[in-house]
Amino acid sequence: MSAHAHPKAIGGKLLDPTMKILLGLFGIAAVVMVYRFFTGIGPVSNMTDGYAWGIWEPINVVVFTGIGAGAYSVGLLCYLLNKGKYHPYVRPAVLVGAIAYSLGGSSIVIALGRYWNAYWLPAVPIWNLNSVLLEVAVCVISYVLVLWVEVLPAVLDGAASSKSPGWSRFGAKWGQRLSKAMPFVIALAVVLPTMHQSSLGGLMLIATTKVDPLWHTWALPLLALISCLSMGYGTVVVLTNILGMTWKAKYDQALFADMSKVNGGLLFLFSAIRLGDIVVQGKLHYLGRLDHHLFFFVLEMALFLVPAFMFFSPKVQQNRGRLFAAALMAIAAGALWRVDAYLTCYNAGEGWEYFPSMGETIVTIGMAAIGIAVFIFVSRLFPVVVVDDAHRHSNVGADQVRSAASR
Amino acid sequence: MRISRRSLLKGAAAAGAAGAVTALAGKAEASEHESKHRPDAVGMLYDSTLCVGCRACVTKCKEANQLPVDQSAMQGTEKAVYDAPSDLNGQTKNIIKVFKDGERFAFMKQQCMHCVEPSCVSVCMMGALHKEGEGTRSFEGENKGTGIVVYDKYTCVGCRYCQIACSFNVPKFEWFDPLPRIVKCELCKHRADKNKTGPLAVANPACCEVCPREAVIYGKREELLAIAKKRIAADPKRYNAKVYGEKEGGGTQVLYLAPASVSFQELGLPELPEHSAASFSEHVSHTPYLHGVTPIALYATAAFLIHRNKKKEEEAEHHEEGK
Ligand code: SF4
Ligand code: SF4
Repeated sequence: MSAHAHPKAIGGKLLDPTMKILLGLFGIAAVVMVYRFFTGIGPVSNMTDGYAWGIWEPINVVVFTGIGAGAYSVGLLCYLLNKGKYHPYVRPAVLVGAIAYSLGGSSIVIALGRYWNAYWLPAVPIWNLNSVLLEVAVCVISYVLVLWVEVLPAVLDGAASSKSPGWSRFGAKWGQRLSKAMPFVIALAVVLPTMHQSSLGGLMLIATTKVDPLWHTWALPLLALISCLSMGYGTVVVLTNILGMTWKAKYDQALFADMSKVNGGLLFLFSAIRLGDIVVQGKLHYLGRLDHHLFFFVLEMALFLVPAFMFFSPKVQQNRGRLFAAALMAIAAGALWRVDAYLTCYNAGEGWEYFPSMGETIVTIGMAAIGIAVFIFVSRLFPVVVVDDAHRHSNVGADQVRSAASR
Repeated sequence: MRISRRSLLKGAAAAGAAGAVTALAGKAEASEHESKHRPDAVGMLYDSTLCVGCRACVTKCKEANQLPVDQSAMQGTEKAVYDAPSDLNGQTKNIIKVFKDGERFAFMKQQCMHCVEPSCVSVCMMGALHKEGEGTRSFEGENKGTGIVVYDKYTCVGCRYCQIACSFNVPKFEWFDPLPRIVKCELCKHRADKNKTGPLAVANPACCEVCPREAVIYGKREELLAIAKKRIAADPKRYNAKVYGEKEGGGTQVLYLAPASVSFQELGLPELPEHSAASFSEHVSHTPYLHGVTPIALYATAAFLIHRNKKKEEEAEHHEEGK
């Protein structure tokens, strides 16, 4: 027997009630999106010249990809530091990453005013290499491709264990070939997120007069990178818990406790850089303002520091529920920091106000819904999730197809 | 067969990385070579003490740029028969505002500042906003060195990053158009007269042409700056001692004079440090890349480690199976 537990297709009814609700939500969002293409962005959103990005960029792109960074975080542990025991959690994280990033990418297209001009993007000679957004765009697009290539082994494994001999041969053959090329793909999956996640923070460097001084710092790229790792580790714990509740996914408390210590370290590091920078830059007096800035700052710090301490407490490490709560907070911390820097503590100037419209909110919810739906769909059909069921697992391995078609 | 395909993949991956790196190396260089020195740069000088608020420039700007009327300031009142925009917007590239506080009051003209190191140009992905004749794309019929920040609708993707980036909130977006554009002053470059010499050969802002008080004048930035300083020196009681735009945010090509009793912030101009936001952002974002060395090194290290780890693991597995 291999040391690895093996992922297996969950199976079951595809169009269950949950799925119907998710698809319904996406359907409503799709109507708004189509409408937007006929009328412009104004009628469906509350965006203005002052708040030109509304919630679509901060949430659909910046927060979604933060959650999608689970693929990056676990990949680092598993492949770079050779912690093979994290292997069972790679596939679900990669699938979440592929979905989240694809949604981020498509949200950009919805939000682009002159989307048809995007066909210029591959024209390297006209790139403005000073544009942080260009770096983000090119890097995210490449990374989406890389992520879906990373999802392929699961699909090929699924094919390999299919009943049709043709598919099974195809899956087995290409699965092996792909597995040989994987290290070079995975190396890209290390470099690209490092680049674009820091750039996602770097996007706001230019807005020197608009992003509140407590959030605007040279360290934005570094902080964004650290926060995406932390959100990523949080996501893996939360995801596995949810999958455990519904599909009895394999859950290893000791392993997650270990991983969460890394997360705790990251959260402390983030807070130290953040606070240290505020002190060094002489920005402490900005904490004297009794307004929403202070509120969000304190809330953020709490969301960063509480789980940081929790992850190091044995009581939490031994308790599934507590660890889950701490992981959830770690995600919320990164998400809130991102939204604050981009939106709530972004001040376009006097006279500008913004609150997301129904249309914008529906699109964001619909995007999240279709993301969950795709995850469920793929996991039902293909071996992504490792299930805690010693007798029935299909024995289809991540890199070796031993008992193909034996099910 | 398999081997060749494998090496192909390796090659592709390497090529991808190399491409990214060359790009990034160029990136770092571009920012360093970006010349701050444009002796032929043109701009405008607005003297708030001369302006009488007649708004002739607002009307003339609309006419010269074929912009529709906008009644947003008078909406819902009987006066909504005038072209009365409430702010710069998708239909308005130039506007006159007034600051009033008790006895003190002053008019204020707003339009693109044509920054020396513009944030909007720094952030625009494919150079849709660029300094005339400069940037990565060769734009036909453009002069180099005027420093005018112009817009190319064919490469603009409508991402609106320029709106986020501009400290003056100048670029505006056509929110209610399914095929929207970015709208901002381009110094009436299209009104240039090739038969003339000097600044009029490269642009001819309608607002300057029409202003009955010469409160806003057009010319070479250097000359305008000299004029502004001369006016202050000649009548220091009348003027705020500073010429806004000389140094603010790396300098702007549109310069401002304010009355002695009014600050530029009261006129709605932001307080900016002497270095530009663009130089700050570019410096911070480029530095970690070390001219492209970092991504290559990271990729090579990652590929090496992953490859080695995988081998080790496979060996271990074989070993186990052998038992
Ligand atoms: S004022 Fe704004 S739009 Fe005009 S050049 Fe400067 S940054 Fe660009
Ligand atoms: S909206 Fe257009 S002009 Fe503005 S930054 Fe984006 S691509 Fe450039």
